[in-house]
Amino acid sequence: MIYFDASATTPLLPEAREAMVNLMDLSISGNLGNASSLHTAGSRAKGELIRARTEIAKLIGVPPLELILTSSGSESNNTVLHTFEHCPIFVSAIEHPSVLRPAEEYGNPCIKVPVNEQGTINLNYLKLKLTEIAKADPKQKILVSIMLANNEIGTVEPIRKVAIIISELRKQGYRNIYLHTDATQAIGKIPVDAKKSMIDYLTFTAHKLGGPIGIAALYVRTGAPFRPLILGGSQENKRRAGTSNVVLAAGFAAAAKYSNDNKTWGKYLKIKELRNYLAERIMQIIPSARIITPLNNLSSEHEESALPNILNVSFPAAEGESTQLYLDLNGIEVSTGSACASGALEPSHVLMAMFHDAEIAHDSVRFSFNLDTTKQQIDVLLDKIPGIVAKIQDLSTMNKEPYNERQRMHQ
Amino acid sequence: MSDNECTNKPKKADPWAYTEIVKDHFLNPRNFIMGDETKWQADGEGLVGNPVCGDQMLVKIRVKGNKITNIGWKTYGCASAIASTSALSELAKGKTLEDADRITAKEICNYLGGLPEHKFHCSVLGHQALHKAIQNYKASHDS
Repeated sequence: MIYFDASATTPLLPEAREAMVNLMDLSISGNLGNASSLHTAGSRAKGELIRARTEIAKLIGVPPLELILTSSGSESNNTVLHTFEHCPIFVSAIEHPSVLRPAEEYGNPCIKVPVNEQGTINLNYLKLKLTEIAKADPKQKILVSIMLANNEIGTVEPIRKVAIIISELRKQGYRNIYLHTDATQAIGKIPVDAKKSMIDYLTFTAHKLGGPIGIAALYVRTGAPFRPLILGGSQENKRRAGTSNVVLAAGFAAAAKYSNDNKTWGKYLKIKELRNYLAERIMQIIPSARIITPLNNLSSEHEESALPNILNVSFPAAEGESTQLYLDLNGIEVSTGSACASGALEPSHVLMAMFHDAEIAHDSVRFSFNLDTTKQQIDVLLDKIPGIVAKIQDLSTMNKEPYNERQRMHQ
Repeated sequence: MSDNECTNKPKKADPWAYTEIVKDHFLNPRNFIMGDETKWQADGEGLVGNPVCGDQMLVKIRVKGNKITNIGWKTYGCASAIASTSALSELAKGKTLEDADRITAKEICNYLGGLPEHKFHCSVLGHQALHKAIQNYKASHDS
């Protein structure tokens, strides 16, 4: 199989496996205790945990003690939003559901910042609304939660500009505005530095960089408000109850070390070239296709417009789940924004927020790569995709013309 | 058991969650109209669904002596939508208009050896398109 779904989860790194197996073997012989126990086996576990936390924290340039280990990116996100219950919460319209849903639940109000057709948030809208709400009650705690990069389309959000808007408001005396970013997809692919970016909370997870599923992290800047989501234990500096998962932490740390040592964000430039090659070739062989991921470098600060490893494309009249399944039968694994594929009734909220067009959303296919992706694999895809799309289009009732060359019927 | 339930349910947790029959109809759809559907001569046609929910079916029929002699279709949608319209076309072919009009979602689903629950409710629409096509035929051929 050719695996083009790294944004769903990356293959486990051998280094991560080895680190975990070593600790599991220690556990079999009774030499790896509970990290909260004071005896030798407990201290050993605690030592492993400290070592792991240090390596993981290095990935985003923060002190280890500001890092909380959690069970998933979703838990990290929920923890932050839960802290701001009854407060105004700003989110982008294209956040992951683990930010959107709790924002709707806890925010009072929850304000969704719209995005353009590149998936970039409307900074003016954010600035205007944020200023308005801050001025209405200068002491009010406010959370702004904007993802670093989107999981479906790869768009990198202008998080530094958001931080500047917030710090200007703080200087004007509105000191209770805080910034959270969900960096789950960005980590390891582009440089991430929580301190430099003036971020108060940052979410990231192990299984998007070759670590195991089941462990993630949350950076909380010292001094930022915090309210634990899980109560009943003093682990994680009293911020998250539950026996420390030392084995998974070691796997996470091994993946973080791999990323730190190899500076993977540099290596992904090669993957970006492959991604751009794929986009270029798709437009040549299927001219009606629409590339959704913004490939151009739009920012003046030499920041990337999108992650290097994601390409989202919509093929007119070809529903995404059908394309996905045909590709799967041809040995190529991808994702889709179609509602059908997930069992949901609505297609991707991300593509809907960008285009307000259900068809573009249903037709979208996401190819996502990791460092092992090769040109040969991409050429196999390029060989198969025109026939598959042509067949599904021939079966289809919908218009096969490019989206922008026909009247939008379903605004 | 009502028409809103499918007696056949996929037995095991296939990664596809689709039966072999569904897969076969998805990959080798029967009776679909190749190329431009407007050029396919028909005595009646019906269109249901819309792109907002992700499924749309067009069914066209040729009728002779109250029987469906030929049926053609197009479907925009997921594998289950495509397979179920294909199954419907096989079920309807050769039937009298009255018998064809009695085909239910349940029959289509059973013919396919079952469909995942959430698919059954959103993607089996072919019989509705056929119903419209029959009505369309009757409206233009009423004495």
